[in-house]
Amino acid sequence: MMERMLQSRKTGKIPRHSPVAYGLIAPSFTLMLTFSYFPVIVAIVYSFTTWDGFNPPQYSGLANYQQVLSDPIFWLSMWHLLLWGLFKLFVDLAVPLVTASLIFHLRSSRAQYVYRVLFVIPMVVPGVVLLMIWSFLYDPNLGVINSLIHHLGFTSLTPDWLGDPNLALIALMLVGLPFVIPFNLLIFYAGLQHVSESVFEAATLDGCSALSRFFKIEFPLLLGQTKLLMILTVIGLLQNVMGPLVLTNGGPGYATYMPALMMYFDAFQNNQMSLGLAIAMIIFVMVLVLTWAQNKFIRPSEEFVN
Amino acid sequence: MTWKIIKRDLASHVVLIVLVALSLFPFYYMLATSLKSNPQFFSNSLGISFPFDWGNYAAAWAAVEPYVINSAVITLVSVVIIVVTTSITAYAFARLRFRGKGFLYMAMVALMMIPGALTLIPLFLEIEKFGLLNHRFGLVLVYAAGGQAFTIFVLRQMMANLPEELFESARMDGCSEFKAFLYIALPLTKATIGTLAIMNVMGIWSDYILPLLVLTSPNKMTLTVGLVQFQGEFLANTSYGPMFAGYTIASIPILIMFLLTMRMFMQGITAGAVKF
Repeated sequence: MMERMLQSRKTGKIPRHSPVAYGLIAPSFTLMLTFSYFPVIVAIVYSFTTWDGFNPPQYSGLANYQQVLSDPIFWLSMWHLLLWGLFKLFVDLAVPLVTASLIFHLRSSRAQYVYRVLFVIPMVVPGVVLLMIWSFLYDPNLGVINSLIHHLGFTSLTPDWLGDPNLALIALMLVGLPFVIPFNLLIFYAGLQHVSESVFEAATLDGCSALSRFFKIEFPLLLGQTKLLMILTVIGLLQNVMGPLVLTNGGPGYATYMPALMMYFDAFQNNQMSLGLAIAMIIFVMVLVLTWAQNKFIRPSEEFVN
Repeated sequence: MTWKIIKRDLASHVVLIVLVALSLFPFYYMLATSLKSNPQFFSNSLGISFPFDWGNYAAAWAAVEPYVINSAVITLVSVVIIVVTTSITAYAFARLRFRGKGFLYMAMVALMMIPGALTLIPLFLEIEKFGLLNHRFGLVLVYAAGGQAFTIFVLRQMMANLPEELFESARMDGCSEFKAFLYIALPLTKATIGTLAIMNVMGIWSDYILPLLVLTSPNKMTLTVGLVQFQGEFLANTSYGPMFAGYTIASIPILIMFLLTMRMFMQGITAGAVKF
């Protein structure tokens, strides 16, 4: 031991084995074991029991999963998830990507910086506060959206955006318009900065139009970023409890039910912890499958990126 | 040639300005409404009305003050724990060799794949079992744990990129690992640590679901939960100005931090984004 220390002191090379490392990582791993790994095990184990959170759990095999998968409300919430997911995957990626490209090709680097800052500013408003502001904008009588509709001359229309079962889901999907998601924008912008200048120069020399430059150069070269943001978008939506909870509470009726919201209600309003855990497990499996599928089927192009 | 480019830029500017205006509208609306009295709100709900009604902020502050303090304390303590523990762990993973390192690192990275929805119910039950329900400290521990994996992941990368010669010569001079961490690794990665701290602050300050479940007595609530609870009351009294002043108060700390550290923050995200 002593010899080894002296050895490393002489050459300055990293010792092959530093036991001190276990001490250094201990605080982090204690926290993670208690509040990250252990909850995962709890979720897996207790999803196979019947448990209200108070009385002793009873092993019940796949009963929770059967109950969830045969519940029409669950499939309705999956349908909402699919609709919202397709919409979100398109707008949350396309709008920031186009915006990043527009900013990147501005000739003034000062203007580039100013736009980036302006688009990032909405990030300072906490998510739940943003939702409450939107719920106010949607208010049928006080809201800006309906007064805009009246100003445009449709005075007979007073849609109750969040209270009408036919509109509520659409209203939820439109929260965040125009969808220049700051994080996505910065990621795409950073990606563009790392495309070789020579690629853009060659494109200009060949008389490539902005449109074909976007579709034939930028989009393919940013496939890596797109892939990452796709998975983050889907994972975010799969877990979205807050939006429907704050804006509509899942209603009216079941009009804005989502799988994660159903999990939340089962666990914390109906005291069916194990049923909620089964939904959580289904969400988890969906995340795993989607991540795997993306890695298998979408391969980013690495050429021309330095 | 040049007029073509200018024309193209002009079109871009027009599109970008429209997008900026729409993106910032809720933010603008919050600020504008927070400074309106009720008559001003009803006569002009969209524009800016003078004189500003600063009384709204006094009314909002009286309502949300304890929640602001709760949120501030919870956020600060959690982020201090995160920064201290993750920077030490990241150093060990980046610069030391030890048995089981690869496995432990993979196990940590795997945590980033675990969706928060999976662990929400178990975390609630765990906090309940530990008798930490309605204790701010329970929430702090959960946040401190939740911030680990991602922060370690990014920080390890930055620390691994430092040249080994620095550490070699330090060891030759008899420098202990702890000193090498404190005097070499830490100063050279402080920009990244700052960015990660800000990201953690934003996440914890804005969290809603977990504090809603865990802190139920009104004097312990965090700001986000308090604001939602108050919304009904504000709406019933038609005190729209104070309601939006409350929303603004919730955004101000993050806004100030963001403005102070903007360049660092943008570069930090950009630097982290390259390796995907």
